[in-house]
Amino acid sequence: MARLRLTWMLLATLAVGLFSFGAAQPAQQQTLVIGGDWTDLITLDPGVAYEFSSTPIDDNIYQRLVEFQGTDLSHVVPGLASSWDIASTADGGTTITFHLKDATFSTGRPVTAQDVVWSFDRVIHINGPSAFLFTDVAGMKVGSTVALDDKTVQLTLPKGVNPQIILNMLTFNIGGIMDATEVKQHVQGDDYGQHWLNDHSAGSGPYMLDRWDRGSQVVLVANPKYPDPPSIKRIILRYMQESNAQRAAITSGEIDVAYNFTPDAFKQAESNPDLKTLKTDTFQMAYLGMNSGPGAPFADNRVRDAVRYAIDQDGIINDLLAGLGRKMQTIIPYGLMGADTTQYYTHDIEKAKQLMAAAGKSGGMTVEFLIATGACSGGVPCADLAAKIQSDLAKIGITTNIKQTTSAQLYTIYRQQAAQLVLAAWSPDYPDPNGNASPLADYNAKSLAWRNVWNDAQGTKLATEAAVSTDPAQRKDLYAQLTKYVAQNGPYAILYQPYVPIVTTAKVQGFARSAQGDVDYAAISKLP
Amino acid sequence: MLAFLLRRLGYLIFVVWGVGFAAFFISHVVPADPAAAALGSNARPAQIEAYRHKYGLDLPAPEQYVRYMVDLFKGDLGNSLRTQRPILSDLRDFFPATFELTLGAMAFAVLLGLPMGIIAALYQDRALDLVVRTLALVGGATPVYWLAILALELFHSRLGWLPGPGELNPYLLEPHRVTGMMVVDAAIAGNWQVFVSALRHLVLPAAVLGAFSTALVARMVRSAMLEVLSQDYVRTARAKGLAGRVVVFKHALRNAALPVLTVMGSLLGSLLTGAVLTETIFSWPGIGSYATSSAIGLDFPAVMGVTLVAGLAYSLINLLVDVLYAVFDPRITYA
Repeated sequence: MARLRLTWMLLATLAVGLFSFGAAQPAQQQTLVIGGDWTDLITLDPGVAYEFSSTPIDDNIYQRLVEFQGTDLSHVVPGLASSWDIASTADGGTTITFHLKDATFSTGRPVTAQDVVWSFDRVIHINGPSAFLFTDVAGMKVGSTVALDDKTVQLTLPKGVNPQIILNMLTFNIGGIMDATEVKQHVQGDDYGQHWLNDHSAGSGPYMLDRWDRGSQVVLVANPKYPDPPSIKRIILRYMQESNAQRAAITSGEIDVAYNFTPDAFKQAESNPDLKTLKTDTFQMAYLGMNSGPGAPFADNRVRDAVRYAIDQDGIINDLLAGLGRKMQTIIPYGLMGADTTQYYTHDIEKAKQLMAAAGKSGGMTVEFLIATGACSGGVPCADLAAKIQSDLAKIGITTNIKQTTSAQLYTIYRQQAAQLVLAAWSPDYPDPNGNASPLADYNAKSLAWRNVWNDAQGTKLATEAAVSTDPAQRKDLYAQLTKYVAQNGPYAILYQPYVPIVTTAKVQGFARSAQGDVDYAAISKLP
Repeated sequence: MLAFLLRRLGYLIFVVWGVGFAAFFISHVVPADPAAAALGSNARPAQIEAYRHKYGLDLPAPEQYVRYMVDLFKGDLGNSLRTQRPILSDLRDFFPATFELTLGAMAFAVLLGLPMGIIAALYQDRALDLVVRTLALVGGATPVYWLAILALELFHSRLGWLPGPGELNPYLLEPHRVTGMMVVDAAIAGNWQVFVSALRHLVLPAAVLGAFSTALVARMVRSAMLEVLSQDYVRTARAKGLAGRVVVFKHALRNAALPVLTVMGSLLGSLLTGAVLTETIFSWPGIGSYATSSAIGLDFPAVMGVTLVAGLAYSLINLLVDVLYAVFDPRITYA
């Protein structure tokens, strides 16, 4: 009997311990925990990474030659380069000469021009998912980047490549500079250190990679060699796919920042005094893609126009997105140079019906409507958004048969030019209007214009001219013409530009997310 | 017994091969392109072609299958398209967390289900029995994802009794990885604070995952006990004047254990599949989360790897149950 009593006492002690032992929290003020869905992370190698979640992490580890400051994406500011000169070459190309400032890698070695050359050439050698930015957009090859001396590096660009676009592009993690000496020591075969860089880092930014437990967390710690030590010493990105889980965790203070609130949950959080809500920008746009090829359902621009008049954008933004979006009707969104926020269309069913009749479709038509599973841009379930569009289009006699597939499958069909009507989202590869203009208006770029079989000479001409123009005023004017033209003739009905809803606890200070998704962790602090 | 074991191990190879074959061909008739999934929505056609070529995705399916099987026999499950790492090391990273969660769920099923079943049987058709039967019915019929969200909302958000998603309080440093099971590793490291935090984090997901099993175990124990309690030898034992406790635990429970064991064996298998939903909701870094993101990302080699491991685990558990039969019931022998 004594033994039994002892067992009970032990069990009781354990139970009390389990339910009352609030874990002491050392250095809580110097640790920031961010909950989000990081399952898209494949690699943290800045020369290869091309996922939404990797960019903000890499940007805090690897400095670039030029950077954006905070959320301002309209001007590049010095990063590792204190200044740069742009000059023309004899064959019509340009050179950009960067003058490096004094900086130190987390390994203790100084940042040199040779590190820049190696980092850039490495991207081209590996030829990863983002390498096309260097090879196709910038026309760079191995040898395009040359060290003139230890602190000066020169990048030569071929004719037709706009150096302003390339400067914007170099702010992206692909332009991250790594300690060549260090990485070379960890090369396996011909991997250029890719394998090693998944669990280690060799950058000069304010943080370095401490550990990455796949599926669980990514942990960054402050780089002791960084001249301006950040207030937060430890950044933890915890994998939390479920919006409910994030909501529960931030309410109890287990996480400081939540990335994936649904519009409804966000609305509730707005009235909670313990939480702060941020509507952060993004360049993303949700749109309908209409197959405009010969014989395709939307070959006639009057039918496309009818769709644009029929869509109830306000209804979508107010009801489905709970206000977490802005109205957009053309292809350069808020925040980019050349942004065109003109309202070219009103919600006008009568006008849409007239256009359908004029196109000889007064008897209506039936199309297949391709949508993805899960959440669409802005966190609204794709199925809900599609149902709303279905009912809008039904009013003008367009019957849509919704076909829902995984996002990967959707893009497979879309890329084969085999979608009739598709619900998708787009965001530019780099923060320059050309990141939208070329793929969305130039058929030859083999991107969205191509996928929707919109082969339009005027669209191609305007996008190409704007891409190479180095005169800012002229570029702006060309984009104004292009956005108007595509709004009225293109294969798209733009639906909205969402906000990315972010919720933090009231203790978190200085959290800001740029439209590119970048967050400067070093600017954040926490109240006790 | 040895011949039996060998024969069963032979079957096991066939079962796993069959599972793998089915998984391979199902994943290849799905009209979706893993390359497109891996490279994202902005990828250009040339990039996709290069990727398909690099990973042999442009080869005919039978040829890909032969290659896969050849590698498999060398013990190589291939590389994940998404994480770019060998699938074996991915599985090694993710499996321990699932194993820990499954053990936790099993512990719930036994510690809760067993007494519930016994009590229900002893108080047949009385109030306590009714309560247990109702609980068992509810527990068995509630979808695990719904229960997960509900439990999180109630015990974590509203009442604040238990921590939320994840394996550990994020402000604590993880113990040195030995087994990959957080609770065990914390115990090995002798870190009491981490141990308690890890154990507390385990309670909710394990309870949710184990709810169905608890219900089933309770019902099985109840009916098995009822049958045994009406047997002559139990009456004899009572008539001999043995204490009620001895009769119930020594005479009745041991004989009621066999059907319960069968159920627990198949439950372990279903726990592995139930873990997919539970892990996703509780941000539990196990094989279920891994399977979910692999499937969404069309990472076929990873999906294959998970399928094979799950198939193998299921078969091994069944084998173990059959062997345990002989231990519990001396009348059973295998030739």
